Amino acid sequence: MIRALLCLLLTLIAAPVLAQAPGDRHVAMELVPETARPAAGGTVTLAFVSTPEPGWHGYWKNGGDAGVETTLKWSLPQGVTAGPLQYPVPSRLLVSGLMNYVYERPWVQFVDVAVPAGLAPGSKLPVQVQADYLVCTVEICVPEKASLRTELTVGDGAIEPATRARFDGWRRTFPKPLGSEARFAVADKRFRMAVPFPADAALGEAYFFPLQQGAIDFAAPQKVWRSGDRLLIETAAAAVGTPPGVIEGVLATGEGQGFALTAKPGPVAVAAEQASGDAAWSGALLAFGGAVLGGLLLNIMPCVFPILSLKALSLARSGADARTARGEALAYTAGVVLVCLGLGAAILALRAGGSAVGWAFQLQDPRVIVVLLALTVAIALNLSGLFEVPTPQFVGHGGSGGAFATGALAAFVATPCTGPFMGAALGAALVLPPAAALAVFAGLGLGLALPFLLLGFVPALRNRLPKPGAWMERFRRILAIPMWLTALALAWLLGEMAGNSAITWGLGAALLVGFALWFAGARQRRGRGVALAMSAAAALTIGGALTVPRAAPAQETVAGADEPFTEAKLASLRAEGRPVFAYFTADWCLTCKVNEAGAINRSAVRDEFASKKVAVLVGDWTDGDAELGRFIERHNRAGVPLYLWYAPGEASPRVLPQVLTPATLTALAGERRG
Amino acid sequence: MRPIVFAALAAAVAVGPAMAQQQTGQPAGNFRLMDANGKPVTLSDFKGRTVVLEWNNPGCPYVKKHYDSGNMQSAQAAAKRQGAVWLTINSGAPGKQGYMTGPEARAFVAQAKAQPTAYLLDPEGRVGKGYAAKTTPHMYVIDGRGVLRYQGGIDDKPTADQADVKGARNHVLAALSEMRAGKPVSVAETRPYGCSVKYAG
Repeated sequence: MIRALLCLLLTLIAAPVLAQAPGDRHVAMELVPETARPAAGGTVTLAFVSTPEPGWHGYWKNGGDAGVETTLKWSLPQGVTAGPLQYPVPSRLLVSGLMNYVYERPWVQFVDVAVPAGLAPGSKLPVQVQADYLVCTVEICVPEKASLRTELTVGDGAIEPATRARFDGWRRTFPKPLGSEARFAVADKRFRMAVPFPADAALGEAYFFPLQQGAIDFAAPQKVWRSGDRLLIETAAAAVGTPPGVIEGVLATGEGQGFALTAKPGPVAVAAEQASGDAAWSGALLAFGGAVLGGLLLNIMPCVFPILSLKALSLARSGADARTARGEALAYTAGVVLVCLGLGAAILALRAGGSAVGWAFQLQDPRVIVVLLALTVAIALNLSGLFEVPTPQFVGHGGSGGAFATGALAAFVATPCTGPFMGAALGAALVLPPAAALAVFAGLGLGLALPFLLLGFVPALRNRLPKPGAWMERFRRILAIPMWLTALALAWLLGEMAGNSAITWGLGAALLVGFALWFAGARQRRGRGVALAMSAAAALTIGGALTVPRAAPAQETVAGADEPFTEAKLASLRAEGRPVFAYFTADWCLTCKVNEAGAINRSAVRDEFASKKVAVLVGDWTDGDAELGRFIERHNRAGVPLYLWYAPGEASPRVLPQVLTPATLTALAGERRG
Repeated sequence: MRPIVFAALAAAVAVGPAMAQQQTGQPAGNFRLMDANGKPVTLSDFKGRTVVLEWNNPGCPYVKKHYDSGNMQSAQAAAKRQGAVWLTINSGAPGKQGYMTGPEARAFVAQAKAQPTAYLLDPEGRVGKGYAAKTTPHMYVIDGRGVLRYQGGIDDKPTADQADVKGARNHVLAALSEMRAGKPVSVAETRPYGCSVKYAG
């Protein structure tokens, strides 16, 4: 007790002293100019390089539920001005239910300092700044002060290559301007935001960091969906405060990358889960009906029918009384429906888990296609009779327990050999609200159980059951045909999506799966175990999926021919006297993609360009290349899209509007040279 | 298949919302806590009187700013002069910064010459989370009818610098005087600033 009191008093007395002593700070901060000899009339970037002790973190501009932003007090020579403090993309730290937007590893902040024109070279410019910032561990917080100084001398503004490289490395940690505006809406205590983001742009774990308070509940998980060329983000709205008119923030896209964006109030295409009540429910009802029908159809699937008929025959032969028959029918139905619900719930859990960790279900992922391809081929091979799915022993047993188990088995066995139907249900589960998705799965189960339910309740039907026989085998072979067609469609899709090597890879994986299953079938015919061969097939499927060559960076067919932009290339083309159209784009820039599809890559434009010998250069800023970034910035645009037209004989380029039409471009190409 | 589903459901329940926000203009949630002397204190006992809640962590530099400058003590004195009740609450968990036992809390109050009506201990953080108290200090003003009238920071200068106390607008004192004059509270919600409350877990 006394020790604790002493400790407390010591903390009370000692902490303020500690906080002030520069040698004992928990964050080491250094001030580094990009050049010590900035040109008069130019700007120089100053970097605040912060290195926290292990376990300590500093705060983003918006600290989240707690935390304080860094403030700077400058002492600058007359005429020198400092811009705002720029923050790199932060990370999240949830401590006991409180969200902190922080930096846990060394981070660098920038300030652009403007040097007035007209200063004589050699003039000394002493720069002093005091930084007040908060630094915490998960247990304690300490506000610290750092007094930093550097001396600049007016010079030629040249930047040493090593320093430039160092700064360019830091520049990659800053958010890039997204260029397109996002929309947000707050309703029913939910905050929703739609961010323009091309469907094929790479995206890791996405999270939106708002700069303002009053928009979102910081600690609530964010759900992220991709819906075409939109990124939909949904989370709990802030319980306190009013949403600001305009929300600014950073969309982190994983691996420390992110985009600065602005969101204005507006309609947000609601996620499927929030589709307006009536439409959603009629849709769900339709899906339920379809599921019951689909389930019904599953009964004549060759891998289910033998089980069903075995069961039905045992029921008919045993001459069971009506009560037993009904009991068995109900137990069977329960088994089927429960397993279907279990499957559905598992998929929903996966979906929820996926959203929570920002793992959007990428149905356009070639890996998913490879798995589906291998699965379809396996099913087709099964239907073609290459191998059998083993049937356990308890199927023929009587009693409700046996009936329940048979129902459960029927549902499981039905899963692989009913690809198309399960695929549809799976698709529904991915887009419908959870309750409706579960209803679809229950419907599937109900449909599957329906014939047996009828058999149980209508004794006359029992005797009319078609006898299993050779016709089933034939029917099964016929069913293999649509399966093979499905495989063909998937292979085509894979090729479209990821190119020739991916399709070869996928077919190769399917072939190996075929070999494994053929081996399994051969063993089966000799009455041996098949577990090993089956596992090999599964392993091959997964292995094939994981190693499938990823899609090459999306290139427009025509754009692929455009030469990459470099300033040297530009200069040489201009020296030849050719008109040059330079466009700057990025995979994540939706406006860019729209302009490319709608104007730049139109054949009318390309033909006109070709006939007028217009050279086209493309600058791809997808990975935020600093060199290119500097060129883009020089033309008064903070980011892409940027369109420049260099007419022969004109000293400087014309900056074209951010929304292009084919007419704009053809008109420029057709201009008379004067 | 099923065990996975159950595990997923269990996980979903376990990470359910821990924080419950109190709505400004709505009745504030009642609570009962032990004070530094080991006596139970219940919010509803003060019906008819204005109550100020102050979240406290003596180790937090932002709290120190207001105690070392005497700002918090004078606010406590002013509130009590107006007949208000001042409850200082510590939701720090054992082992974390600012956690105190009863005798330690009494020592802190005496040393700081603080004058809360009571210093309440909430080591499990139940009341803190019930009020979604996020920082120290984090302030709440509840009127005589038990309605929450203000929640947020103590003032509009979110720094740890004592020099900033002067010239800051003290949102709590402003709310109290507006309430006394029968006026609506003009600034009813602000962003609290300070260290995060050091909850258990």
